[in-house]
Amino acid sequence: MEHEVHADADALVVALRGEVDLEHSPRARAVLLKAVEDAASVLVDLSGVTYIDSSGVASLVEAFQSARGRGSQFALVAMSAPVQRVLELARLDRVFTIHASVARGLGRED
Amino acid sequence: MPAPAPLPRALPTVAGQLDMELIARLTQEFATSFDVAATLAKAVALVTETVEAEGGALFLLEDDGQELVCRACTGPVDLRGLRLRRGEGIVGRAVEENRCQLVRDVSADRGFNAAVDARSGFRTRSILCAPMRVQDEPLGAIELVNKRRGDGLFSDADRHLLQALASSAGLLVLNARLAARVAKQERVRRELELAAELQRSLLPAAPTPRFPVHGINAAAYEVSGDFFDFFTLPDGRIAFDVGDVSGKGMNAALLMAKTSSVYRCLAKSEDGPGRQLALLNDDIHERATRGMFVTMVAGVYEPDSGRVRLANAGHMPCLYRARDGTFRRIAAEAPPLGILRHDPDEALPETELELAGGALYVFTDGVTEGCAEDGRELGIDGFERLVTEHGHLPPAERLETMVGRFRQGTFRDDVTILVVEDGERPVQVGVPESHPGERLLEMRFPAKADWLKLVREAVREATARCGGRGAVEDVVLAVGEACQNIIRHAYAGTPGGEIVLTLRRKGCDLVVLLRDFAAPVDPSTVKPRDLDDVRPGGLGTHFIRQLVDEVELLRPRSGVGNVLRLVKRIA
Repeated sequence: MEHEVHADADALVVALRGEVDLEHSPRARAVLLKAVEDAASVLVDLSGVTYIDSSGVASLVEAFQSARGRGSQFALVAMSAPVQRVLELARLDRVFTIHASVARGLGRED
Repeated sequence: MPAPAPLPRALPTVAGQLDMELIARLTQEFATSFDVAATLAKAVALVTETVEAEGGALFLLEDDGQELVCRACTGPVDLRGLRLRRGEGIVGRAVEENRCQLVRDVSADRGFNAAVDARSGFRTRSILCAPMRVQDEPLGAIELVNKRRGDGLFSDADRHLLQALASSAGLLVLNARLAARVAKQERVRRELELAAELQRSLLPAAPTPRFPVHGINAAAYEVSGDFFDFFTLPDGRIAFDVGDVSGKGMNAALLMAKTSSVYRCLAKSEDGPGRQLALLNDDIHERATRGMFVTMVAGVYEPDSGRVRLANAGHMPCLYRARDGTFRRIAAEAPPLGILRHDPDEALPETELELAGGALYVFTDGVTEGCAEDGRELGIDGFERLVTEHGHLPPAERLETMVGRFRQGTFRDDVTILVVEDGERPVQVGVPESHPGERLLEMRFPAKADWLKLVREAVREATARCGGRGAVEDVVLAVGEACQNIIRHAYAGTPGGEIVLTLRRKGCDLVVLLRDFAAPVDPSTVKPRDLDDVRPGGLGTHFIRQLVDEVELLRPRSGVGNVLRLVKRIA
């Protein structure tokens, strides 16, 4: 799994790429939690994720809860098919704020 | 005969100066040569010349002070080797009385022994003899004969001169002896150093850090009676041995070198450590010095299977540490080599064990008799503790650290430790059976997160291969979640666990079995979390039930571990 964090306006965009499984989810968790610490608005770009399992989902949930506790914004954007499927299976697709793209997530038009 | 001229009362100043120069010269000569015999010869020549005598001889007390032996001589008669009993002759008298003897005319002295003259044909007329002594210890004497000048007789002035020279000569003799002793000690020390170097060169080093066998040896003195060895056989197995030779010093070191070398040959030509040690025993028993023996462990390790065969002849027990951290001691089943006559055709008993990812430690008693940091004897228990503490380090570093830990205490014996470490087994993939389409995949792999990707890929391929295209991702997810559960919950972080995965097609069904070897899980405790309770973790079971058609937790027939059975209907 690769990750990349960049700022855009007031938000931090965290892009995850590759497989977010038990081997890599600890790193994903760390990166996401730090982003939530550093910015009031975090967007997680999942367009490059080819595989995610329950441990990867758990790291998203944990970051989401941390953001909520601080009153910050946290949204998932541009989900790939595997992520979509897994979130639906976990019925978490209704829990997260999800945007179709990074632009939408930043409040801009595509 | 005219009366002898009266002797001068004091030495002329010129003669006095000559004294000091001579002494200085002698000292310098000696400092460069370190050759005792040559120094004495020079000393006696110089003294004889200075006092102007016809001949001179230097006698040293030897044989525990019972005999005076002539060790240097100058003049017409060679007296070297001449032995006098203590107290015998003019020389003997000088030493006994610790007084210079001036015999102006020997014909009037009853102490004079005319026998030597009779043999040599020389005519002694006058003798001057001064004892050599250093710090109250008599060393011998210098004897001069026949003054060359004047009436051929020695004077008091001559006596004073000789006395002074003799005490310097005494010092010289002492120095020469000390120096010779130091030189000999140096030679011995140098020889030991060379032997130690040779020994060290016989100890092998592991070719790579991941090589299964590593050893360490720390000698208590220069040369060690301990040894270890390992080498790869043509068929890929690795032979190893550890030995401890009785005694210390050069004897032990030589037997060590020989035993180690002979074993190398035997291991390459004979099969099995039991047989090899039986033959080695024969050789040592026959040819080693009486009373010397060797305790030894010899073994062979098969990297493919992790199996070890070993034989232990009177040596400390070997220690096996399993992947779960438990220890097992493997004791000696035969006496040390070289003690008993033994039919070389009758192999020593062997033990076989599977390392199964664990490690085997072979060590000498210098280890367990060494002291731990608290000053108490380490013992095998202490050694086990050290192994546990440093088990996470790579083997070579582990051994060094362990030895470093207890070397700080009193350290009385050579220390040798050898470890055979069974590496991580690679994924073992089963070959499809004679009924194609039935068993598609069988994998045995470590229960670790970094193996899951490989497992997913294999399952993906296998599922696709049996026509389950639409189901591939679901099956992969399900298997991934199931493995996660085993790693996180069944093994709960304990290292060394393994998972066996079997994927079979039975008609329209794809059946996956996941077997672990952890403590049995109570099926009633395995239930999916309520999804409205959004919390990290614990989603795995729910996923699985959503992804496949059947999920069942079974107890295997052997009662060890758990089996999770997943069934996915495919078109």
